[in-house]
Amino acid sequence: MKIKALMSNRRVVAAAGLVGAVSLAGCAQNAPQDTFAPKGPNANKINNLDLLVFPIAGVVGAIVIGLVIYTLYKYRDRGQPIPEQTHGKPVLEITLTIIPALILSVVGVFTFRAIFELAEEKDTEFIINVTGQQWWWEYDYPIQEEYGITQPIITSGQMVFPAGTKVMLRETSRDVIHSFWIPALNGKKDAVPGRIHLLRMEADNPGIYAGQCAEFCGLSHANMRMEAVALSKEDFAKWVQNQLAEYQAPAVGSLAKEGEEVFLNQCVRCHQVNGLKRPDGTPAIAAPEDNVYSGAAPNLTRFMTRNTFAGAMFDLVNKKCRADVWGASAGEFGAKYLAGVTEECLNTGGLRAWLRNAPALKPMYADPVKLEPTDGKYRGMPNLNLNEDDIDRLVAYLLTLR
Amino acid sequence: MAIIERPEAAPAVPGAPLVPATVTPQSSLGAFKRPVTTTGWKSWLFTVDHKKIGIIYGVVAIFFFIVGGVEALLIRLQLAGPEGKVLNASVYNQMFTMHGTTMVFLFAMPMAAAFANYFLPLQLGARDVAFPRMNALAIWLTIVGGLVLNLAWFLGGAADGGWFMYAPNSGPIFSPSNGVDFWVVGLLIAGVGSLIGSINLIVTVLNMRAPGLSLMKMPVFTWMILVVQFLLVFSLPVITVALVLLMFQRSFGATFFDVAQGADPLLWQHLFWIFGHPEVYVLVLPAFGIISEVLPTFSRKPLFGYPFVVFSGAAIGFVGFGVWAHHMFASGLGPVSVAVFSIATMAIAIPTGVKIFNWTLTMWGGKIWFATPMKFAIGLVVLFTFGGLSGVTHSVAPSDTQQTDTYYIVAHFHYVLFGGMVFGLFSGLYYWWPKVFGKCLNERLGSWNFWFMFVGMNLTFGPMHILGLQGQPRRMYQWTENRAGEGFFDLGFWNLVSSIGSYVLAIGVLFFLINIVWTTKKEKQAPLDPWDARTLEWITASPPKEHNFDRIPKVSHLDEFFHRKYQEDPATHAMVSVKTAEEVLAIEEANAESNIHLPSPSYWPLVLAVGIGILGLGVIYGVPTMIIGSVVVLLAIFGWVLEPSVAEDFDYEGSSHDGGSSKELTTHG
Repeated sequence: MKIKALMSNRRVVAAAGLVGAVSLAGCAQNAPQDTFAPKGPNANKINNLDLLVFPIAGVVGAIVIGLVIYTLYKYRDRGQPIPEQTHGKPVLEITLTIIPALILSVVGVFTFRAIFELAEEKDTEFIINVTGQQWWWEYDYPIQEEYGITQPIITSGQMVFPAGTKVMLRETSRDVIHSFWIPALNGKKDAVPGRIHLLRMEADNPGIYAGQCAEFCGLSHANMRMEAVALSKEDFAKWVQNQLAEYQAPAVGSLAKEGEEVFLNQCVRCHQVNGLKRPDGTPAIAAPEDNVYSGAAPNLTRFMTRNTFAGAMFDLVNKKCRADVWGASAGEFGAKYLAGVTEECLNTGGLRAWLRNAPALKPMYADPVKLEPTDGKYRGMPNLNLNEDDIDRLVAYLLTLR
Repeated sequence: MAIIERPEAAPAVPGAPLVPATVTPQSSLGAFKRPVTTTGWKSWLFTVDHKKIGIIYGVVAIFFFIVGGVEALLIRLQLAGPEGKVLNASVYNQMFTMHGTTMVFLFAMPMAAAFANYFLPLQLGARDVAFPRMNALAIWLTIVGGLVLNLAWFLGGAADGGWFMYAPNSGPIFSPSNGVDFWVVGLLIAGVGSLIGSINLIVTVLNMRAPGLSLMKMPVFTWMILVVQFLLVFSLPVITVALVLLMFQRSFGATFFDVAQGADPLLWQHLFWIFGHPEVYVLVLPAFGIISEVLPTFSRKPLFGYPFVVFSGAAIGFVGFGVWAHHMFASGLGPVSVAVFSIATMAIAIPTGVKIFNWTLTMWGGKIWFATPMKFAIGLVVLFTFGGLSGVTHSVAPSDTQQTDTYYIVAHFHYVLFGGMVFGLFSGLYYWWPKVFGKCLNERLGSWNFWFMFVGMNLTFGPMHILGLQGQPRRMYQWTENRAGEGFFDLGFWNLVSSIGSYVLAIGVLFFLINIVWTTKKEKQAPLDPWDARTLEWITASPPKEHNFDRIPKVSHLDEFFHRKYQEDPATHAMVSVKTAEEVLAIEEANAESNIHLPSPSYWPLVLAVGIGILGLGVIYGVPTMIIGSVVVLLAIFGWVLEPSVAEDFDYEGSSHDGGSSKELTTHG
């Protein structure tokens, strides 16, 4: 029995070792939020620390476990007499205290340096204000003329930024604490209401990088995702230009025009589309602060330039087109992304289901009878009770927002 | 405090003469009688006996271990596949909140309190704790707190903000159900219980040690419990303050965490973790103490480097107060704070490493007996090492910003708390079961218990390292195929393995429960000293007599009991058996003391705890409930103060069990 116990102990250790070896070895086809696959200098700094610390931990672990197993084997009860009652050897104990202290000092020095490098603010080249809200992120680009941003741009769903540029995110929140995290680009930083936290972000190459809210933020925390999209500087300029372009109203008499009417009746209460005008020619200004507790709703001005909706919980593109964008090489990524969501690529079923009954797809506080604590204001998007015809019209209209 | 003298039971050695007691009739000042029953359910409700209270703690802890375990199994069932549909988002959030809260406050702390209550006086050579009625109050407050916490399940939903309950998500707007209120009130009540218990045990250790038992001759278990009680005394007030602030915000319109009024939500995080990090050591140090008893016993050697183990335990406790912000590396503290806490956290790995080395070197050169308690103790050494090393990887603050709030952290702290703490507690259960109940748990079932738990635990929490490093955050009621990847690190595969593992683990725990039933049913009594043990608690009958020791033992050695059984042959330095355990005990019994002081039971700790519970519910249900609670609390306090310090001798008349002899040798001074 005892020997058998030892054998299986060894097997467990061998299996653990194998898992360890493999985890160090390969990263191909891993999950998009793999923390060991840095795609920018900030994440790379962290990864370099990991490459120091994980092997040290592995070696120390192997030595300790090996020693334990050897001890168990060597000193198992084989009928030997009761051993001498020794109480310890101070020299050995002091040595065994000093060795880990030395190892940790080395790790500590590198850690110390990395902490301050990752907190550097002076080399910032581009700023994005990132605001968390239950359960989506808003990206707000302040005026930065050298990037063509002559008026603020407000988006959500995907954070678009120039590759090879030192971006600084200025994070805050409108309600509870959220945490912004794109593992391939940097560690996470909490978005705390009432505070502004800075997070460096830089991508080596154009591409799309997945992330996820990492601080528990209530009911739909699991559905609060993000995607960061890095474009080459030229492509980013094109993206900015498109975001700031004049609003194009749909042609009179088209289905999309009818959809604009539905949008004006229903959606504009919370969702802004810049340049949208009411039939009487006055600008349609959304008033989310009257209807949503946390005070904002996603700005839908160039909705179809984003590949996601509902706080990046769902893809706005269908599976095939998604795979095309996500799988694109750095060279052709920009063009594919800037093509936006065409009618062929639209995830029609998903978008229609959302318009039909949003809270059925994403848990939110949107049941009117349960809104007493917030004076009737929603936390999330309510069911608008749209009929199928209205949904047809709205989808046609939304497709024009590109 | 009412420590009264009550006659000892008839001497256990047949034929030994009864020592006559001095009978001093005493009139009681009190308005109420004290209960005197020593058998039946009343004897449990009104007991102040540290051993009975210890057993109640154990029963409560194991009950909540099962409750928390079922919650964990539901969580793993939900996450076994993508887009899990077993629980909805709201129920899932309640489930993980209550799993954490239950396991920390209602399983781990009461289980450690069970061992501490039962064995601390026995290891000190004392007859009870310093304040027996306070001890009873502590257990009832723990139970009332646990009931209030879980009552929420049936009254509108349990707390759903996570066991860390970060502001402002815990406020009345963002957590509108009553769950958080029940959570706050329940934890406040249980926390008061823990605080009372910790003061009690500190006084007991400092004042009630047997003659000759200097601090540096105390068993390491007692040492670790002492360190833990100091941690509790200094950390519980902090969480109590935080909970009171939250209670006032939720129930009385205060704005301590309301950002619109200028509050900084990080205040809660600091308060919570100044308590929460020492709490980690509160959970794990008792287990360290237990295996520091078990490893020497089953290696037949003293603990290697006893002073190092004691001082490293104290050092862990001390430094444990200076590392709380490592839970907040992503909170935006600024680089200076992050750097300081990062280095401090690395420093705490050193005393922890010392313990691992000392345990291993205790076994080195020994004569190792792989009985079930030893298996669990070795399990702790191995699993805690893994947990400690992954802990070092997130003491590196930049790395931690990738790891925090992912399953990698879940893996880490389950290796530390399940692999470390739970394995230590199970080691203690198997080790001390024959002492408490007079019967050994079945070794074969124990072996099944261990191996299923060991394999199940690694299957459950091992894959979580991969899940976390592949970017799966915690506290998500669903995960999605889109973010799962493919190949060896496919999140879908490892989530499934982890879920299967959790059921293997559950089968392991089931073997333990079966073992309890099996052992209770069988007739065979355990030998007096089944493990050839080393410390004072074994110099008494199993189960121990009500008064623990016939004669307070005089201590001259660390591992006193071992040195009474064995002596060194001066020529060969080999240890030679000189007395059996039975012979050691017989000497004590033959020299039994005549007047033994034991406290009388009391009604009032239970009444007071119930009153505080009703008062707490008043916070949620309004003033009338509060008034009822206040009346009960006042009544209980008056009863407590006015009850006689001595049970009248005529009270014993006609009482069922030992009334007869009590009547003969009635109370004294």
